[in-house]
Amino acid sequence: MKFALPLLFAAVGLAGAAGTSVWAQDAGKSVWQGIYTGEQAERGSAVYAQRCGACHGAALNGTGEAPALIGGEFVSHWDTMTVGDLYDRVRTTMPQNDPQSLTREEYADVLAFLLKNNGFPTGTQPLDKRSEVLATITITAEKPTGTGG
Amino acid sequence: MKITAILPLSVTAALMLTTAAAAQTPAREGTMAARTTNGVANWTTYNADLKGSRYSPLDQVNAGNFSNLEIAWRFKTDILGSRPEYKLESTPLAVDGVIYTTGGTRRAVVALNGATGELLWQFALHEGKRSAESPRALSGRGLSYWTDGTKRRILYVTIGYRLVSLDADTGRPDPEFGENGVIDLKKDFDQDLGDLDTGEVGVHSAPAVSGNTIIIGAAFREGFTPRTHNNTKGYVRAFDVRTGKRMWTFHTVPKPGEFGYDTWLNKAADVNGNTGVWTQVSVDEELGLAYLAVESATSDFFGGKRPGNNLFANSLVAVDLKTGERKWHYQLIHHEIWDLDNSSAPLLMDVTVDGKPRKVVGLPSKQGFFYVFDRATGMPVWPIKETKVPKGNVPGEWYSPTQPIPSKPPVYARNGVEEKDLIDFTPDLKKKALELTSKYVLGPVYTPPIISTPEKFGVINNWAQGGTNWPGGSFDPETGIAYVYACGACISSTGLLPPPAGLSDIPLVVGVAGQPVVMIKGPGEGAGADSPAAAPAPGAGSGPPRLAVDGLPLVKPPYGTISAIDVNSGTIKWQVAHGETPDFVRNHPTIKAMGGIPRTGQATYQIGTLVTKSLVIAGENQFTTTPDHPRGAMLRAYDKQSGKEVGAVFMPSTQSGSPMTYMVGGKQYIIVPTSGGNASGEFIAYALPGKK
Repeated sequence: MKFALPLLFAAVGLAGAAGTSVWAQDAGKSVWQGIYTGEQAERGSAVYAQRCGACHGAALNGTGEAPALIGGEFVSHWDTMTVGDLYDRVRTTMPQNDPQSLTREEYADVLAFLLKNNGFPTGTQPLDKRSEVLATITITAEKPTGTGG
Repeated sequence: MKITAILPLSVTAALMLTTAAAAQTPAREGTMAARTTNGVANWTTYNADLKGSRYSPLDQVNAGNFSNLEIAWRFKTDILGSRPEYKLESTPLAVDGVIYTTGGTRRAVVALNGATGELLWQFALHEGKRSAESPRALSGRGLSYWTDGTKRRILYVTIGYRLVSLDADTGRPDPEFGENGVIDLKKDFDQDLGDLDTGEVGVHSAPAVSGNTIIIGAAFREGFTPRTHNNTKGYVRAFDVRTGKRMWTFHTVPKPGEFGYDTWLNKAADVNGNTGVWTQVSVDEELGLAYLAVESATSDFFGGKRPGNNLFANSLVAVDLKTGERKWHYQLIHHEIWDLDNSSAPLLMDVTVDGKPRKVVGLPSKQGFFYVFDRATGMPVWPIKETKVPKGNVPGEWYSPTQPIPSKPPVYARNGVEEKDLIDFTPDLKKKALELTSKYVLGPVYTPPIISTPEKFGVINNWAQGGTNWPGGSFDPETGIAYVYACGACISSTGLLPPPAGLSDIPLVVGVAGQPVVMIKGPGEGAGADSPAAAPAPGAGSGPPRLAVDGLPLVKPPYGTISAIDVNSGTIKWQVAHGETPDFVRNHPTIKAMGGIPRTGQATYQIGTLVTKSLVIAGENQFTTTPDHPRGAMLRAYDKQSGKEVGAVFMPSTQSGSPMTYMVGGKQYIIVPTSGGNASGEFIAYALPGKK
């Protein structure tokens, strides 16, 4: 099968087949390296219950039109993107009827809560509130082998 | 109400500057049929034509070159509203080289140069509270075109339920139509909606325009947790395309004395709502009939406030195009309690059955049945048998003892979830699936909902978003074969609980034992450009188990399919899993240990198909990252005859509506509406490489 993406194919050649996804960035931080704290996820849990749970469900399973925020479908959807992509999507569009109504810290806390529920490990440093910093952390659905954490 | 309009240049003048392909408009009232003249081919209604075909005879893009398609232009819809949209569902129209579409959280209308994607004009109504309160916000499914050979109009319904007529050349409202180009659809509705801002009604679909008649349906809030059973009724109306004057109204919930009123026992027709037509209306211009695919009555899973069969809920109704008078109807589900709204545009097909030419109407459905009727008489082409179905035990519910089940064609999508449907890649997965489902009820189609308890949370089903949803089907008018996407794994669990005080006047709404019962939102509800601040949500507790086993879908593949249904013979000619296997399945350790599995398709309800001279074309709705391509989705082409995939092209985002095709300057384009994940709404136009 052929794809009209010569540049991206070239990029693969450089990146090599690191990890299980040849397209994942193999430099920089990953969600598998403990990028948020347990306390942050706790705070995020409270914010989620107040501002997100009504649509996305108390157990993050989704209701009606609002998708699940847990499980393979959700993580696959963001595979190879960055935490910054997810952060800005949430920050600029959620809650759907009042976007940007949480503080940046609260959005970061909610993200930590989502990461925890999707099985990504906790760490010692809280998730940053700056999109440009979060954009350096890659979401990879599969746990890389041999990278620790 | 404020109007935003950008009028850089008239469409004709703009086209003269950028392309030499401006063709002549034919002198025929109504929409124009697809044709190819001077290198121009049009797509003039949401479904390509009023028969619902989504078919174009173009063949410049074919099996031999599909994979060579490249992006010709992209049009991002972010600026058409106060915030970006992530649910772009509109199918654009193409008329003589100009693209017309709705887009953005404001549901603005734009005209674009079909060869370049350049903005020619933009129009939007700023409706304030009225759009904020709408049950159907966001960009909608599209708009309609009309001409009498001189006048050319674009017609659409705003988020706040106003019908607007615009000059196709300038984007300016037509001063001869309604009040300065606008009709308030909340008025003249044979019912009092009270406050016009908050009165509950809206619609996503594009108006159906035939001759001088515009037909408009209605849609309402999500029916999982309605505030009241006595909400707005979804009457269907027709308006004069020149003046906006109301021509007729069809009462989808009959008034006293009208046919069908007595199918609502205890005068329940007086105090129940919904029963609208939210999908596209199809029209047979020769027979002079409009085909209305009517949705369910309030509420989706509990009908105790509406005993009886509830005509014309869940019926296919043929009405006279000129008068709105009912010619025939067929109720597909009696006393519906499964959220199996009629979702798809009726497909008006000319086929040959048992050696005889037949004019039929086919209707795909959420429940995986493809119903086929003589479209003049309403008689089933193949027997539809009233079949005994299980009676439930929900207190206060009224159950129909039978439901109509078509004998032909065969079921084309999963419509029940039973043990045989559960994941069985390994014995261990099957065992875990059985353990999980021991907390739920399994059953075939029309297994009734239950009261949610800690022992049995609900009925596992593929109802609300399963089978074929709003994108509907498509067909090839030359062969009489319908091509229909269906979701086989859009499963959920449905149980009922009493609502807390103040939430609803219905005794039972959707809920899960152990969880607070909360209001569930509908498509785009509270998400439009004018939406207000959120109310605090109740606290979260521990939920029921996810419907997944070791992170894999609970049900077997295929998760999504395209079926070719031969409506001449009532058989399924071929069926393919549509869509790459999702990453989380393909990369799962168990699947890897098995050495992989055949393509599973993808679970989604947002896929519509496009049919051309030789191909069936549809994109994917989920992002994947595979050894063959980076994160993205594929637009796929299948051979119409065999279902064999003959080409695929990369999309940077996912298909979220139905693709269409047209030609301008001798070049064929395919537009895909895309959105999802971090990618906001964008129309992506594909064409073959080269100047021409």
